[in-house]
Amino acid sequence: MELQPNTETEVLAENGRPHPATAWILGHSPGALWRSAFREDRFFLILSVFIGVFSGLAVVCFRFAIDWSRLYFLGTGAVLTPMRMLLAPTLAGLVIAALVIHFFPTARGSGVNQTKAALYIFNGDIPFRTAIGKFITAALAIGSGHSLGPEDPSLQIGACLASLLGRRMRLSRDRMRLIAPVGAAAGLAAAFNAPISAVLFVIEEVIGRWSAGILGSVVLSAISGVVVMRWFLGSEPLFRVPAVELKNPTELIAYAALGVIGGLLSVVFASSITTLRPKCKALPKWTQYFQPAIAGLLIGVIAMLGAPQVMGAGYDYIDQAMHGQFTWEFLAILAGAKILATVLSFVSGTPGGMFAPTLFIGAMLGGAVGGAQHLFFPHLTGSVGTYALVGMGVLFAGFLRAPMTSVFMVLEVSGNYSIIVPVIVANTFAYVISRGLLPIPIFDLLTRQDGLDLPSMEEQREEDILRVEDAMQRPDGPILDGEKTLDQAMAELDHTKNEDLLVRLSPSGWNSVSKENLGKLAAEGKGAMTLASLLPVQQVPYLHPDHPLEMALRYVDRWPTVPVVSRADFRKLEGVVSQRGVLERYREFGET
Amino acid sequence: MKEFALREQDQEMASGRFARYRFYLRQRPTMLVLLSVLAVLFFLGVTGLSHVYHAQRASLGDRWFSRGLADLNAKHYDAAVTEFRAALLYSRDEYSYQLNLAEALIGLDHTGEAFAYLLNLWDREPDNGLVNLELARIMARRGQVDQAVRYYNNAVYAAWPPGEESKRRDARLELIEILLQAKRQGDAQAELMALAANAGETPSLQQTIGEMFMRAGDYERALDAYRTILKVDDHNAAALAGAGNAAFQLGRFSVAQQYLQSAIRVNVNDTESAQRLEITEMVLRMDPFRSQISTPDRNKNVVDAFAAAGQRLNTCPLPSRDTFGTTGSAPSLKDEWIGLKPQITDAGLRRKPDLAQSAMDLVFRIERQTSSVCGPPTGPDLALLLIAKLHEGS
Repeated sequence: MELQPNTETEVLAENGRPHPATAWILGHSPGALWRSAFREDRFFLILSVFIGVFSGLAVVCFRFAIDWSRLYFLGTGAVLTPMRMLLAPTLAGLVIAALVIHFFPTARGSGVNQTKAALYIFNGDIPFRTAIGKFITAALAIGSGHSLGPEDPSLQIGACLASLLGRRMRLSRDRMRLIAPVGAAAGLAAAFNAPISAVLFVIEEVIGRWSAGILGSVVLSAISGVVVMRWFLGSEPLFRVPAVELKNPTELIAYAALGVIGGLLSVVFASSITTLRPKCKALPKWTQYFQPAIAGLLIGVIAMLGAPQVMGAGYDYIDQAMHGQFTWEFLAILAGAKILATVLSFVSGTPGGMFAPTLFIGAMLGGAVGGAQHLFFPHLTGSVGTYALVGMGVLFAGFLRAPMTSVFMVLEVSGNYSIIVPVIVANTFAYVISRGLLPIPIFDLLTRQDGLDLPSMEEQREEDILRVEDAMQRPDGPILDGEKTLDQAMAELDHTKNEDLLVRLSPSGWNSVSKENLGKLAAEGKGAMTLASLLPVQQVPYLHPDHPLEMALRYVDRWPTVPVVSRADFRKLEGVVSQRGVLERYREFGET
Repeated sequence: MKEFALREQDQEMASGRFARYRFYLRQRPTMLVLLSVLAVLFFLGVTGLSHVYHAQRASLGDRWFSRGLADLNAKHYDAAVTEFRAALLYSRDEYSYQLNLAEALIGLDHTGEAFAYLLNLWDREPDNGLVNLELARIMARRGQVDQAVRYYNNAVYAAWPPGEESKRRDARLELIEILLQAKRQGDAQAELMALAANAGETPSLQQTIGEMFMRAGDYERALDAYRTILKVDDHNAAALAGAGNAAFQLGRFSVAQQYLQSAIRVNVNDTESAQRLEITEMVLRMDPFRSQISTPDRNKNVVDAFAAAGQRLNTCPLPSRDTFGTTGSAPSLKDEWIGLKPQITDAGLRRKPDLAQSAMDLVFRIERQTSSVCGPPTGPDLALLLIAKLHEGS
């Protein structure tokens, strides 16, 4: 009988380990790839795509629901009848109040804070009932003419779906915490048809910090959400952006003026909400049944008085403002009326977002400022549409305090990078003014009013970080050279009282030795030997001056002094840190 | 007992199977498969909803659009704008909705807003004839001739749907009109020639072309256009009048006389042609240099012309000589006329036939200068001026 060669034994090397080539093949076998694909980190990425798809589908349904709600509440025409203007938001307000109070209490508000709370407080857990409640009540509110937008509810619906999927997939707690922002990005991206802005908004406003670990998932889900949304609703942007160009740099002054006015208006808008909201909440409980209805009635009155554009999200009117279809005076009136209508809707507890109203107010303000400036300075070349576009970014930066999102949102919506300079100039002014006059951003204020304290990116920006250089001191004793003999080193130590000494090793590295040990070694007759040969193999870790001081805490309990060296030359000592010095610095920092 | 044990064993097996199923269900690959199935089902559900949604919106859009069209055709622009706006709520980027809204807005004189819509449409279809035509009209209204000409040119060379080819011609006609108004006669003539080349023999179009050639100062081609009409309809009063006018402007007075006489025969109320005929006949009658004229008649014409010129000098006193750049020592026209007058008689001309030329030269100079000072003449003076132009350089 002829023996068949055993391929398995043949590929083994002599030591019993697989040959490297075999190991590569085994490592890339379908089975190995299959197992590796379902490791939690990779599974999370795959799941992000599903979250994006489900969120996208949910947002599409949400859009349908809003439009159907609008059709039935406000009619099919472009001109609303007075009866509908008054009755639709009022009656819808009554229904919404009952639904929110009895069935969906967590559906109140915009949804951004709730998603953030899920991330930081509830380990990513958001009850699915919230999504259902948000879907129904926000669709009713926006469709009936309440001055709110669909983006923030979409964000929350996405987060709820992600949370549900995460629970069903039995993700670890760490992953579960991160899953809400992944869904939030998908929901927002699908609602706004702008994946980059959605990702940035979620990072700035929901996660509140840059986290490389989650960025990939957030991007994947946002893109999946947008793809699904475009499949059903087309790829047209929310606005038809007019041609934009900046011919004369002096025109930046006009955009700066827009930024200043936008910053001030953002403060008025945010202050109105944060002042009135607690007052409305403090009213007797029975009034909560009527607050959305009263808000709806007042919005109807505003509409009847000549500004029906304030009803609903108002994207069509933003589009019209961008194309110069309103006079600047009317645009200014619309900006003011929309602030009033949005404040009424929001403080009454009607579920809905502030994203769209912010854009609306910004566009109207930008158009008004642009139009007025054209009146006084006819040489300005920027169209009213350009100012409206920049105005949207201005309010975004000033009111929502998401400066990066505000810039990228305008770029993504306009698809024109030549507008970047005016946007940055105007947004910076708006952001700085708003931050100066109202130090705490609107979302943080709302969270605090709800009794929660969540971290924010703005807090992080203002946070002072202690670095190693802040606790760094000059070394007390001499720095010994590892190449010198023990006798030479002992001679250098004659005049020092310092017990712990640093030794510079060659070609690089640092070690530490006590004076006492050196004495013992000398007593053993090792005076002719070099220090490097006498010291233990384990070296002292070193730090750089720009390292966060927290890093020093890892080492200072094990080594009395830790060298701080230059990044350009590791042998060049900049200073040393000790446990005492570090703790003292922290104490001083805490006292300031 | 045995039965109970068996049942227990069955239950154990069943729960074992269930646990195994649950184990498999909890495996990530299985979960992903389930998730995929769920996603497909959700996707199909949303697709169904989407069809309903889009169908409803399309139907609503069409309904409002139809109403808008009816109102637009009835020139109820206000209502049409509202209805087209409603239609656009359901299909924001629908080309025809935007185009008709723009037209309704133009009707309401909201050109700014209409322009915004049209520009948007132009971005999407830069070679759309109607959009270019409407943009050109707005630009023309705003007095931006160069922009208007650009859009008109686009409209002329744009793609027009079958059945709307005549709009290309309309665009060209409007373009010519704009060029004529902007006094860009050369460009207008070029466009007119292109138009005439493809115009066929349609009388109304040839009539328009003829009139435009007249306005562009190309009387020869204008005459051709009118003759084309007359080939088809030799009793066309407008063409006869136009041809008469064109021949008159070309100085072909005998031809003009024929056409104008025919024009008046066909349309007795054509006073303009009648006046022109009167002048034409006067020119033919008063011209002393016309062929086949007898010497006595010629002398009589010269004497009459000289007298008429003297009359003209009396009614239109000319300023000092220097105004006309005459040399200091040269006598004035009046002086010249007075100096020559005794010789310009029938007898004088018979004695010196060459005097006829000198006398007529003076007459022509008087008529030219008085017309530039006192405005265009009428009657015999106009006839003399035309005769002067006719023999200019001869």
